[in-house]
Amino acid sequence: MIKFWQKRAELGILTEDVAVEEELKAIQKEIKEQVKKKFAGSLAIRMVDSGSCNACEAECNALSNPYYDLERLGIYFVASPRHADVMLLSGVMTFNMTPHALEAYEQIPEPKWVITLGDCPVMQAPFEQTFAIKAPAENHLKVTHHIAGCPPTPLEIIKGLLEFLRKI
Amino acid sequence: MRLIARYAKDKGEFFEIVTLYDEEMQKEQVSKENPTIKTLAYEHPAALWFERKMQDDFGIIVEDAFDKRPLVHQEQFPANIYPMRKDFTKKELDFSTFKPYDYEVINGDGVFQVSVGPIHAGIIEPGHFHFSQAGERMLHQEVRHFYTYRGIEKMVEGKTLTQAKPIIERISGNESIAYQICLRDIMVQSSGEKLGASLQKHHALLLELERIIHHLTDLGFIPNDAGFGAALAFGSKLAEDARRMMQKLTGHRFGFGAIDFDAISFDMLALKEWLDKIEADINYFEDWITDIPSVWDRLDTTGALTIQKALKYDTVGVMARASGVAIDRRLNPFYLERGFVMASQVSGDVAARFKLRMAEVKNSILLMRNFLQKKIATQKLSKLQDGEYMSFCESSIGELFMAIDIKDGVIERFYSRDASFMNWQVLHVMMLKDIIADFPLINKSCDLSYAGNDL
Repeated sequence: MIKFWQKRAELGILTEDVAVEEELKAIQKEIKEQVKKKFAGSLAIRMVDSGSCNACEAECNALSNPYYDLERLGIYFVASPRHADVMLLSGVMTFNMTPHALEAYEQIPEPKWVITLGDCPVMQAPFEQTFAIKAPAENHLKVTHHIAGCPPTPLEIIKGLLEFLRKI
Repeated sequence: MRLIARYAKDKGEFFEIVTLYDEEMQKEQVSKENPTIKTLAYEHPAALWFERKMQDDFGIIVEDAFDKRPLVHQEQFPANIYPMRKDFTKKELDFSTFKPYDYEVINGDGVFQVSVGPIHAGIIEPGHFHFSQAGERMLHQEVRHFYTYRGIEKMVEGKTLTQAKPIIERISGNESIAYQICLRDIMVQSSGEKLGASLQKHHALLLELERIIHHLTDLGFIPNDAGFGAALAFGSKLAEDARRMMQKLTGHRFGFGAIDFDAISFDMLALKEWLDKIEADINYFEDWITDIPSVWDRLDTTGALTIQKALKYDTVGVMARASGVAIDRRLNPFYLERGFVMASQVSGDVAARFKLRMAEVKNSILLMRNFLQKKIATQKLSKLQDGEYMSFCESSIGELFMAIDIKDGVIERFYSRDASFMNWQVLHVMMLKDIIADFPLINKSCDLSYAGNDL
């Protein structure tokens, strides 16, 4: 373990070191305040993949890496829809996945919101309508906010979440 | 012989069944009135999913199959719909009545079932795992997928290769470069030309970078699933650095649209510096994690895949190499001359796959250094000719196979088989000695793709 602490001292704090962080710094205060005001300090998100290519999921996982560390702003991903305030929906809503995604939405306690993530759920991605696709998501769910991109970068996701917080 | 793929084509008057082995290819014609074939699943268990997929896609009946359940079509999929037949042109299907799926289960006193998914606790793709449990011990597990089935094979039909490219590069986000390289090879083949050495080197460099990103993510997540979170913080930091390097080189964090025939310029010096840095970091990481016995206590002997089973199930990629099978699409002069050494482990457990990924990252760094070049020459392909083409690529998961038939300048039939399609089928034999709490760890150590598998 001694090696780890040595490295830790060497590396310093990553989140304060990088160029994009300037942008992040500017908005993190507002995010924190908004989360505090509207969600009592913690916004719980249930991520549901309804048929994406895994790039959106990879970017959401990246939100937990030491560069972005979303949890310090009071936003975290939860394991069960029953613990969630928001459903973050990615993917094209495949025929096979749509019933399950809607079921997950049912399980979220009121009040609840849906944010669509990436170009897939609004059918803006290169994928075209086939028999196996049920998107756009707004045909099935009341969507409050959309975060565009293929996939949206972690910073764009954070900005999108802030826009959502301002909206409600 | 190793089974690579088995798939069908609608040829108008009849169906053609293509069975591809590493040594030969067999083609069989079956009539549309009575489309029946014989199963290969007795010699090659992994043929099962191929055959069940054919049954759903084309309505081909596998006479002597021991498993005739639907694979791709789930509970609410309408009966007697065969979407890959040419006469199926519907763009929309309505949900039909719910028909329960008959899971493979073991029954007995005190034996109970655990259903996991399709929505999982973490941020991952959807898939279903069905366990038969005796206490904590897993007696049996069935993998059931195709929740992300988007109908891509049908979607790209009737498009030119250029039109289909944005779709094909998004089949599996983690392996985008590999899919693009397979498509590139088919484009080059159909133009009747040869790929320039300069572009080949540049594309190979991007493929190794993609592999580094994928492996680094896993090197963080595997110890995290064994309860060692510090490794995830470290690994995900390195993976983010690598992803940013991908953004610098290709203009996209996942390299979507990166593989083409145009020249690009990039900062070679920055890449060199980054390679030095990541090498130092990965060496530190290895040194550090090797010293933590509680991690290895979880990784060693867990989820062991024996070489016999790996061969029997025609396993490919990281999982095969970790079990001692020498299989890698990079075993060719182009790579070997530039310092490629195939990583290999023999124990086949989670620890083996972890160490294998570590070794591959290091080798990929070396390869990237050797692929660096000052100037990248462009190439212009002549007109693509009709025909049947196939290509292979070693993605970060394993061997990727793609086959495209071009007719009148557009895609007549597209088929791709992700390494995951083979490897998912062997997962259930790996965990018979383990408890259910080890399953996430075993699954993560394989890190197979769901989207690439489902298409």
